[in-house]
Amino acid sequence: MADKDYSSAEDPALVRLAQKGDTAAFEELVFRHRDKIYARAFSMMRNEEEAVDLSQEAWVKGWQRLTQFQGESSFTTWMTRIVINLCLDQLRKHKRQRAESIEELDEESGGVERQMPVITVNPTERLERGELRQRIDKAMSQLSYEHRTVLVLHEFEEMEYKEIAKTMDCSIGTVMSRLFYARRKLAALLADLKSEP
Amino acid sequence: MNEEQQLKLQAFLDGELPEDEAREISAWIAQDEEATALSKELRNTRQALKNSVSPVRLPESREFYWSKIQREIERSERVPVRAVQPSLFERLRRMLIPAAGFALVAAAGVMMFRGMPNGADSEMAVADSGAFTYRDYANGTTLVWVSYPAER
Repeated sequence: MADKDYSSAEDPALVRLAQKGDTAAFEELVFRHRDKIYARAFSMMRNEEEAVDLSQEAWVKGWQRLTQFQGESSFTTWMTRIVINLCLDQLRKHKRQRAESIEELDEESGGVERQMPVITVNPTERLERGELRQRIDKAMSQLSYEHRTVLVLHEFEEMEYKEIAKTMDCSIGTVMSRLFYARRKLAALLADLKSEP
Repeated sequence: MNEEQQLKLQAFLDGELPEDEAREISAWIAQDEEATALSKELRNTRQALKNSVSPVRLPESREFYWSKIQREIERSERVPVRAVQPSLFERLRRMLIPAAGFALVAAAGVMMFRGMPNGADSEMAVADSGAFTYRDYANGTTLVWVSYPAER
């Protein structure tokens, strides 16, 4: 870029410069998309510090693999996939480090939530956005990482079942089962939260 | 409602069913009270999730955040300096010089052992493995062979 005006350049132009080793162009890409990459890491990890570290690691990996990026998707989608994979690796490590609880084993098979009565009243209907977000955050934190991740990938990343299965290295049936459990558990948690003082 | 029906209903809401199957499930939901209720709950949960989305801000300044990334990039790009492997010629030279020195020492030893005739007008001496001296007293000449370049 002759005038080095990175701020007005489009992502693909910055990517091309970065692929040639221009770190200033890459810095501009980091500046533009850092919140989104961090937000995705946080939605999966539920921990600010880990989310910051993993998002930074994702950017470093992004730089190292930049020549592999051919523009099949947008740069942010590509970067989001990198951070999701890093978070999944980290969450799997966490899981290996701790003994699985009975509840987690129950979750894998669907648990009691499959037979739980249907919640007909929408518990979040009258909530303000801030309050709703707090309650959703609290409920999401109570899900196992597998269930939370399936929800995040489906609802926020808008991935299809088969794409989620590929990302999480499991079958489509498992994705469907986890998604169903996660939604029902979330509905139950939100309904309970409503009755809190 | 069994598990298969529950998951079919969910797949329908997620738009994952082929058209003919989707029509079938849609008709079932409209007729079945339990299916209608479950469908409503799943939609509500989905809507609540969508409504809860708000911009999340990174809790660090641009400069601080970037500095760590930059440091890691620079570190990963620092190629470790590999020890230069000597060439084949260099390795042969290193082997041959001591061998040549040893051969000269041996030759000198043999000559000294046999004994020089009295009044010999020349002498050979080996100062070390790298230098060989020849003195011709009659001609007043001294020749010194030094292996070069010096062995490292």
